[in-house]
Amino acid sequence: RRSSDLLADQGCEWKEEVVPLNEWHEGKCELRKTAVFGQVPRFTDGDFILFQSNAILRYLGRKHDLYGKNDKEAALIDMVNDGVEDLRMKYLRFFFHEWETGKEKYLEELPNQLRPFERLVSQNPSGFLMGSNISFADYSLLDLLQNHLIVAPDCLKDFPHLQAYKDKMEARPKLKAYLESEAHKNRPIHPTRKV
Amino acid sequence: TLFRSDRLIQRAAGHSHPQFHTPHSAARTSGTSQDTMAAQYTITYFPVRGRTEYIRYLLADQGCEWKEEVVPLNEWHEGKCELRKTAVFGQVPRFTDGDFILFQSNAILRYLGRKHDLYGKNDKEAALIDMVNDGVEDLRMKYLRFFFHEWETGKEKYLEELPNQLRPFERLVSQNPSGFLMGSNISFADYSLLDLLQNHLIVAPDCLKDFPHLQAYKDKMEARPKLKAYLESEAHKNRPIHPTRKV
Repeated sequence: RRSSDLLADQGCEWKEEVVPLNEWHEGKCELRKTAVFGQVPRFTDGDFILFQSNAILRYLGRKHDLYGKNDKEAALIDMVNDGVEDLRMKYLRFFFHEWETGKEKYLEELPNQLRPFERLVSQNPSGFLMGSNISFADYSLLDLLQNHLIVAPDCLKDFPHLQAYKDKMEARPKLKAYLESEAHKNRPIHPTRKV
Repeated sequence: TLFRSDRLIQRAAGHSHPQFHTPHSAARTSGTSQDTMAAQYTITYFPVRGRTEYIRYLLADQGCEWKEEVVPLNEWHEGKCELRKTAVFGQVPRFTDGDFILFQSNAILRYLGRKHDLYGKNDKEAALIDMVNDGVEDLRMKYLRFFFHEWETGKEKYLEELPNQLRPFERLVSQNPSGFLMGSNISFADYSLLDLLQNHLIVAPDCLKDFPHLQAYKDKMEARPKLKAYLESEAHKNRPIHPTRKV
């Protein structure tokens, strides 16, 4: 989803290839054998084939000037993106593997996990997560915040900068149009669970 | 500044680890660029290899010097380290290049990758290097979880699954004419993979028996003169994988 948000916001078009989950798990997908680490997503740019979601984000970041204005900004963007990814990994583990057993603990710990991002956004004059302009890390953080709000609708109540950040991101015209599209709305967070 | 290094020195004064030292003399810069020679690198971390030893491999192999700041584990866990409150995500390692401060081990690797021409020759190579580094990192996460949290309970399952986890890297190295993990020259991802392979060999000494390309790759990397000198240094040999367990 992060790549889709980025592409939409940058005015790009893209095709979707859907991998049916049952076919994947039953070993019926050739891609599972040929993918470099046996995983999806796969991204192609013409003949160029790429795997690993953050490698895809970084590739698009370089292509669309979403990687800071110099090497130091780029490093700081890498740093915060890796922080977003660390929290995403915790979220995915909880959401897909510990939904019943881990919910209380996860929600109790969540403010401590969100606080660094509140601090980063509040300290950045541009209002983005890092750097003087929007970066690929912003699309990743937006997605992470949206997912958490579904699980815990009041999780941003003590984080006004993150709330404002989310609103500002979602108001960007092309991104807004994508978020309101059927394509986005019909793509669930969980394959079966109604969240 | 975010961090009061003088306070750390005072706290660490009672420990046997030196607070500041420059690495083995074989790693001295020679004929490197002005930019590299002017660099003042510092690594701040616990006294273990963890998420920093492959950064040291990169620096040593590239002929860089750096300083070490040791964070005593007990002080960290007791909440006595100021750095824990000021670090962007409350974690180490921290890396500095003069006034520039950076956290997150892979952000540090990528920063050094850009600085030392270890990030491929164009954007597509860079993306592929990112891709394989993320694959190395995925396996490292599994390894760290097993090694630090499931050492007794998870060993059999981990070792059973290990060949499947190593196979993609065997395939990548075997398919790359340069002999490196990805691209036409060495990249930051190679230092990360080397560290990962070494750690696995300690846990499972025969884990490369069916992966001749990875074995050759490891040998080739470890034979690089400056890296070899670092690997033979006291600084490296005295830095354990686990703070207490003899592995």
